[in-house]
Amino acid sequence: MSDIAGTKPALRWVVHLSVIFLVVLWVIPTLGLLVSSFRTADQISSSGWWRSLFPSEQNLTLRSAEPETQVLENGVYVIEGALFSADEQATISRWGISSRDVDAFEPGETTELRRGGTITVDAVGNYRMENTEEFTGNRGARIFVTAELPPEFTLGNYQKVLLDQSSTDSMAKAFFNTLTVTIPATIIPILVAAFAAYALAWMDFPGRALLIAAVVGLLVVPLQLALIPLLKFHLNIGIGKGYLGVWLAHTGFGMPLAIYLLRNYMAGLPRDLIENARVDGATEFQIFTKLILPLSFPALASFAIFQFLWTWNDLLVAKVFLIDATGQTTVMTNRIVELLGTRGGNWEILATAAFVSIFVPLVVFFAMQKYLVRGLLAGSVK
Amino acid sequence: MKHSLYAGAAMFALMAGSVQAEGELIHAVGEGSFDWEGFQAFADATDLSGESLTIFGPWLAGEGKSFENLVAYFDKATGASSSYVGSDSLEQQILIDAAAGSAPNLTVFPQPGLAANLAKQGYLTPLAEGSADWIKDNFAAGQSWVDLGTFENAEGTDGFYGFFFNVNVKSLVWYIPENFEDFGYEVPQTMEEFKALMDQMVEDGETPLCVGLASGGATGWPATDWVEDLMLRTQPPEVYDQWVSNEMKFDDPKVIAAIEEYGSFTRNDDYVVGNANDTAAIDFRDSPKGLFDSPPACMMHRQASFIPAYFPEGTELGADADFFYFPAYAEKDLGTPVLGAGTLFTVTNPNPASEAFMEFLKTPFAHEIMMAQDGFLTPHLGANPENYSNDTQRGQGEILTNATTFRFDGSDLMPGTVGAGTFWTGMVDYSSGAKDAATVASEIQSSWDAAK
Repeated sequence: MSDIAGTKPALRWVVHLSVIFLVVLWVIPTLGLLVSSFRTADQISSSGWWRSLFPSEQNLTLRSAEPETQVLENGVYVIEGALFSADEQATISRWGISSRDVDAFEPGETTELRRGGTITVDAVGNYRMENTEEFTGNRGARIFVTAELPPEFTLGNYQKVLLDQSSTDSMAKAFFNTLTVTIPATIIPILVAAFAAYALAWMDFPGRALLIAAVVGLLVVPLQLALIPLLKFHLNIGIGKGYLGVWLAHTGFGMPLAIYLLRNYMAGLPRDLIENARVDGATEFQIFTKLILPLSFPALASFAIFQFLWTWNDLLVAKVFLIDATGQTTVMTNRIVELLGTRGGNWEILATAAFVSIFVPLVVFFAMQKYLVRGLLAGSVK
Repeated sequence: MKHSLYAGAAMFALMAGSVQAEGELIHAVGEGSFDWEGFQAFADATDLSGESLTIFGPWLAGEGKSFENLVAYFDKATGASSSYVGSDSLEQQILIDAAAGSAPNLTVFPQPGLAANLAKQGYLTPLAEGSADWIKDNFAAGQSWVDLGTFENAEGTDGFYGFFFNVNVKSLVWYIPENFEDFGYEVPQTMEEFKALMDQMVEDGETPLCVGLASGGATGWPATDWVEDLMLRTQPPEVYDQWVSNEMKFDDPKVIAAIEEYGSFTRNDDYVVGNANDTAAIDFRDSPKGLFDSPPACMMHRQASFIPAYFPEGTELGADADFFYFPAYAEKDLGTPVLGAGTLFTVTNPNPASEAFMEFLKTPFAHEIMMAQDGFLTPHLGANPENYSNDTQRGQGEILTNATTFRFDGSDLMPGTVGAGTFWTGMVDYSSGAKDAATVASEIQSSWDAAK
């Protein structure tokens, strides 16, 4: 490897460039999601996230103040105001008062309103409407402006997802429920699978090979097959829908991979070590706890990451085995779907919720990632 | 590892507080023009202290909240403790729950086809004796609501299972009154005028329609609404009924004519925003936003009564945007047909509270509380239209109660593989110019034959 990279700089550059290319390719969607999570629904639907990072020229439809705010100055009725608030630094290039011709006038020009009177708009959005008769109606006049606006972002989405107190919008309960599901659903399969893997790797008993083959075979069975029968079974034995049910389901569905992964890793540990221990009079349980478990830590950790991520992101198993119509048990993924709305159009909430929900898996991943690479190779080389 | 988890959890707890908010009594008892007498009478007659009720439905976020507010009144009146859970995948979840035996007490179906399936499998309980007669007498076009809620059970006998609650009207065209004013356009009263108006808009250099058919896995449904609406405007309602029940084949010339009629609106580059072949790529939730562009991308948008939820934030209905009835042809003399859809309550796991709730839904009060919140229409004749939260909703409610012909969304009544399958995909094929109307119609018919 090293001499390829060392003697052929051109190839090394190709490798580097491809790595950079791949990283950028993978990061762009996440970046887009991140930017979108700081934009309003209207912004998301009107322009792409990549354009929101720079000042942009926009066509806006704004409205003057209501006629009831008019004042009488020297016999002329006047409505005055600003189209943009003080902290918005917009520069108007053209404006208009009819949807027929939205960029009819330069800033500073004066035109006649259809319902009587005149209007003028300056470059920063101050307008003045004058009329010799009283302005009528209860709506302000529409003013169309073409303006250069600085990038605008909002924390509103995060506020809505995290802080909103109304029942459908609160994330806190779902967060704790998800932890309640995820932590036991990660620990239980590891406990069970570690014992099974040791037995399958190092204890001689008839039919061991067949058992291993059966476990490997179970890897390819889709869990969807088991949903209704398993739920029926849970209801029959009285577990019903609830945390115990969802822990058992996750344990069951995660078990084949856990046993397969751990068994292959443990089978790769040096035989001498275990035989020495046997000669020294250690029991099987002592060998397991004193030798195998510490040595298998990378494999255990990597499976824990797999299982944690999968249960954290799971929606299907939670919906079937946990969430009932009492509404007391819900998980983050389900809450995110609820936030999307009845017809699922709230993209800004989706982007935000994705980042909120990604937070814990990221922490878990970075805390344990050094084991992941080692664990990924678990059992693949002897 | 554990520390960071706990730290994260604690941070969330601090940030979010922990409030399990329920629905709230949005109007104090006795306040406003609601039917408080009816509410009191129901409360006096019903005592469910200690009982609980679970309701499962399709409404999420804002709409779910509105319904929870109604449930709060039910709890207040009866002392029961009720809960509502919404899901976007109700269709799949209720099948699993019903099959496994863990169904909620009441299930709100977004369309009758699926409820009919569950009734057929014996998972639904018929509504109380006399419910059908009550609907017939108290709902506008009562008989049609009874027919829509009547399904076959496992033994093949008909029973009344579905109580329609929360209806939407589809025959609406949305527009911006001030844009019409700027151009001097009038709201068309007949389909002839509507078409003339579209030509006038093209002449003025404007685009008449925003059309968007994309909706994830359900892409194409807005087009099926168009076709159904035009079917009702080109053929008598009896023909519509025959079409929906497949007595008349899908590839009948009358159906092909309706599809082509739809094409005359949307398969024309002059009439729609963008390329006419691309309507299936525009999300239906984004398409109405063209009305609000500056300058306007389009002048009109035909869509159901729920679409204002996707108007830009702060849009004031009735002032910033308004609707008119999608007109009928003057020359065809078919009256004012209205296409609609709605959700229906069914009993999936009976208990005393579920029976009481179905009685509660009959009170005008239950409808009035929902009317006072956005996005709810009712055909209940006893509910006071004054309680609608705004004029736009009231206007839609009137369209519903005054319709000479009301027909339910046909694709919801067809078998699932057609109404939620080949009809959608067929319309996408037609809208993108890949296939002509006759080919699409005959393909849909053959999928229907296969589904029988």
